[in-house]
Amino acid sequence: MDDLLAEFIAETREMLEASGGEIVAWEADPGDRARLDTIFRFVHTVKGNCGFFDFPRLASLSHAAEDALADCRAGRREPDRALVSAVLAIIDRIAHMVDAIEAGEEFPEGGDEALIAALDAAPEAADTTETPLHAPASALIERGEDAAGPATRRADNLAAQRTIRLPVELLDRVMSGVSDMVLARNDLAHRLRQAGNQPTIDGPFERLTAILSDVRDAITRMRMQRIETLFGALPRLVRDLSAELGKQVMVDLDGGDVELDREMIETIRDPLTHLIRNAIDHGIEAPAARLASGKREIGMLAIAARQSGNTIAIVIRDDGRGLDEERISAKAIATGLITPAERAAMSRDKLVNLIFEPGFSTAETVSSVSGRGVGLDVVRQNLEKVGGSIKVSSVPGEGTQFTLQIPLTLSIIAGLTVEVGTQRFAIPQGYVEEIVQASPEALELTRMGETALITFRGNRIPCLMLADVLGLEGRDARRDLTLVLLRLASGDLFALVVERIHSHGDLVVKPLAPAVMKSGLYAGSTLLDDGQPVLLLDVTNIAALHDLVSDGRSRVLQPLDDEAAGPVAAAPRAMLFADFAGRRMAVRLELVQRIETASASAIDRSAARPRVVIEGQILPLVGLPDTPLASDKLRLLRLGDGACELLHAVRAVEDAVELTEALVAVPEDPLIEAMTLVDGQPVALIDAHELFARHGEAPLAAPGARPRCALPDSDWARTILAPLVTAAGYDIVIGDSTDSDVVTILSEDVFEAAEALGRVPVGPVIRLRDHPEDRTGGATIYRYDRDGLLAALAAARHARIAGGLRP
Amino acid sequence: MSELLVIIQIAGRRCALSAHDVKSVIEIGTITPVPRAPDFIAGITALRSQALTVIDCRRALGLGAGDKPTDDRAAVVASGGHAYALMVDAIEDITTATSEAGQVPGGFGPEWSRVARGMIETMTGPALLIDLAALIAGPDAVRSEIEAAA
Repeated sequence: MDDLLAEFIAETREMLEASGGEIVAWEADPGDRARLDTIFRFVHTVKGNCGFFDFPRLASLSHAAEDALADCRAGRREPDRALVSAVLAIIDRIAHMVDAIEAGEEFPEGGDEALIAALDAAPEAADTTETPLHAPASALIERGEDAAGPATRRADNLAAQRTIRLPVELLDRVMSGVSDMVLARNDLAHRLRQAGNQPTIDGPFERLTAILSDVRDAITRMRMQRIETLFGALPRLVRDLSAELGKQVMVDLDGGDVELDREMIETIRDPLTHLIRNAIDHGIEAPAARLASGKREIGMLAIAARQSGNTIAIVIRDDGRGLDEERISAKAIATGLITPAERAAMSRDKLVNLIFEPGFSTAETVSSVSGRGVGLDVVRQNLEKVGGSIKVSSVPGEGTQFTLQIPLTLSIIAGLTVEVGTQRFAIPQGYVEEIVQASPEALELTRMGETALITFRGNRIPCLMLADVLGLEGRDARRDLTLVLLRLASGDLFALVVERIHSHGDLVVKPLAPAVMKSGLYAGSTLLDDGQPVLLLDVTNIAALHDLVSDGRSRVLQPLDDEAAGPVAAAPRAMLFADFAGRRMAVRLELVQRIETASASAIDRSAARPRVVIEGQILPLVGLPDTPLASDKLRLLRLGDGACELLHAVRAVEDAVELTEALVAVPEDPLIEAMTLVDGQPVALIDAHELFARHGEAPLAAPGARPRCALPDSDWARTILAPLVTAAGYDIVIGDSTDSDVVTILSEDVFEAAEALGRVPVGPVIRLRDHPEDRTGGATIYRYDRDGLLAALAAARHARIAGGLRP
Repeated sequence: MSELLVIIQIAGRRCALSAHDVKSVIEIGTITPVPRAPDFIAGITALRSQALTVIDCRRALGLGAGDKPTDDRAAVVASGGHAYALMVDAIEDITTATSEAGQVPGGFGPEWSRVARGMIETMTGPALLIDLAALIAGPDAVRSEIEAAA
């Protein structure tokens, strides 16, 4: 529906709703001047608005009512009950007509004249009118059942129409307020963790967290706008451009309901317009040329938006002549982007993407439509600024297709926190391709002049030391390197050497002061959970400052991976490591989430199976040696199957390799999937299915999501029992609980009393006895039998997890 | 005339900020340095859940760090949509202006002239009224403007 019309309907509705009370009051007291004015204003506005649209019936109805009311206001006529009835009948009719207009239905003919006549006839007919002409005013307001009109109201329609208009600044303030609340919550969470378990606070805090995340979702949706608002202007743009250029173009828009951050829509407005200009000017041929090449006279320009996960893809496709490979290569060679030899080795796909290189423009004549000095390099730059990308593909004679990838929102992004020197920095997760930890020798770290290179999976990759980039005191480079491999939107890969990887999570990005932005290294700042501000690195710009962004030349030096990967891609990739028994093992790379380093104190061997605490999560740990650890740091592989995670202790991580040799099954060892050869040495490949079947368990988040255990309200329970239960991974609840999730520990006599009263706790129960010797046949546990208690707690917890996994 | 002013000391001089610009006075916590930023930017710090850019006012004037310690409190100001914390020698008082800002014969010296709107009389004596935007722009702003003009 037309925007203007929708506005008209919404406004009329709003007025009807607002004047509802006035209508009732006026009916009760027709002499009330203030009410009369309100109703006069309503019909007057409707009459005025009808002027913009072709609604003769609405106009004549509101006009008649306005005339009658104007007479009353001027004192030419006394409002009586009959007049009130007649006016209300008209208002009633207006409401029905508006409904019909909105629903796109025809309003039944006739009846208007009678209503209008009732206005004039009112004085004489006043006493004789028995049946009211209009529905009772209250029914009009409640908009419930229909009493008078032929059209039926649709309640769902009304509910959908309840909208209000807000100034954008107010919306922005609310949004930034919610972002601040998220940060404040994170800060509070951190402090609560430091203060230890406090059941009385944790509960409300969890609730706060849940509410906040709801609010944040709602706010994020408020930020969103349909891409329609952008698409709306395009048909006109295309029409004007094609008329100017003497071409015939039909535009096909698809996916207008895709929602995008308001700011993001503004950011892509210019790039999109630019691409459309290009397509019409250079892509689509003149009608005669099209007919000559056997195409339809009318060119087709299709613009489609699609959402996939956290990004939106916008595709702009024309069925024009396609990109001219020869002209692009000639231009690229002429401007020194590539050499003729490089040209010979280039695929068409790579060649056409050169059009995004700075200073590249094939248009020989600068027309008024495109080619006014703003090249596609600017388009790419603008998109990359917001973390997006663009690429082009083209078939000669058949058309060109531009694909834009843009993130959904600007202000909350997933990020990785890294440390260098003593300072932490954040990197947008979108750029992170892989995290590698290895010795400089394994990576063949070499320095070519001022540039460092590493070799990773057979490719030489430029390598930046973050410490050098930032001018910080770096650590000794002879130790193991932690590398973050970053893939730029242009497809270039480079490695950033950091000292430690901290964590990843959603970061609320705030803009930085201009003087800080000028350094070109940072894209914003964010606050970590502990309230420390952290700078977000501007990866693209850092790469550009170090000349790592492709300028065509560097791109051909390295095999682009979609070409290099070709036949080899089928080989499974695995992470190679040495375990504590000295064996060389491998685990499929898809399973490896991360390489973690844990201190020995984070490892808990108290239960039957060892566990380790990583980032506040208690996870199962396998592969530990039986002997005590030699060092206080332990290298761990974090493995995940999507739902559960577990950690595998390793003596040393070697490398990620491709398993090109044959896999030989090993039926005698269920934990080994197969043996294979890597560099001529035997390697055992871990059977992931067996590993997760035996050891996997869904991660238990630290406070809140941990299982709870109710303890008796006694000093003994609080001071002696509680620490043991907490150490076993439980949150403590004092007193009774009615929650079936909660494990209850009771002394034997209390349990018996509860049983006698029929008030046995609903969840699992662990019964304690005061004497070492057992008189109940195993149903109770001596209260100082530590192993027995831990076993019972572990069993209860596993029962809970198993229960939780049931659909 | 009766504008409220916050009196601060920068490099031993009495200066005044319009109280309208000063949002609050905070204890400066940990300052996270910003590598490769101009030296007058001491870093960023957190105020509740906001990040503030901390400006070392002595360096922002182009005067060098000096050896006197700075106040452990900072004035929080907003300029151009960003919040800053101003590190100064001392935050003295709030007072009322008794005159408009005016020039003095001989000027204030090049560094001060750049950031000063003029001398202003207050209830507690004269002070130099600071142009916040010029102070925050830092000592290089003039230089780059000249370069741009040249």
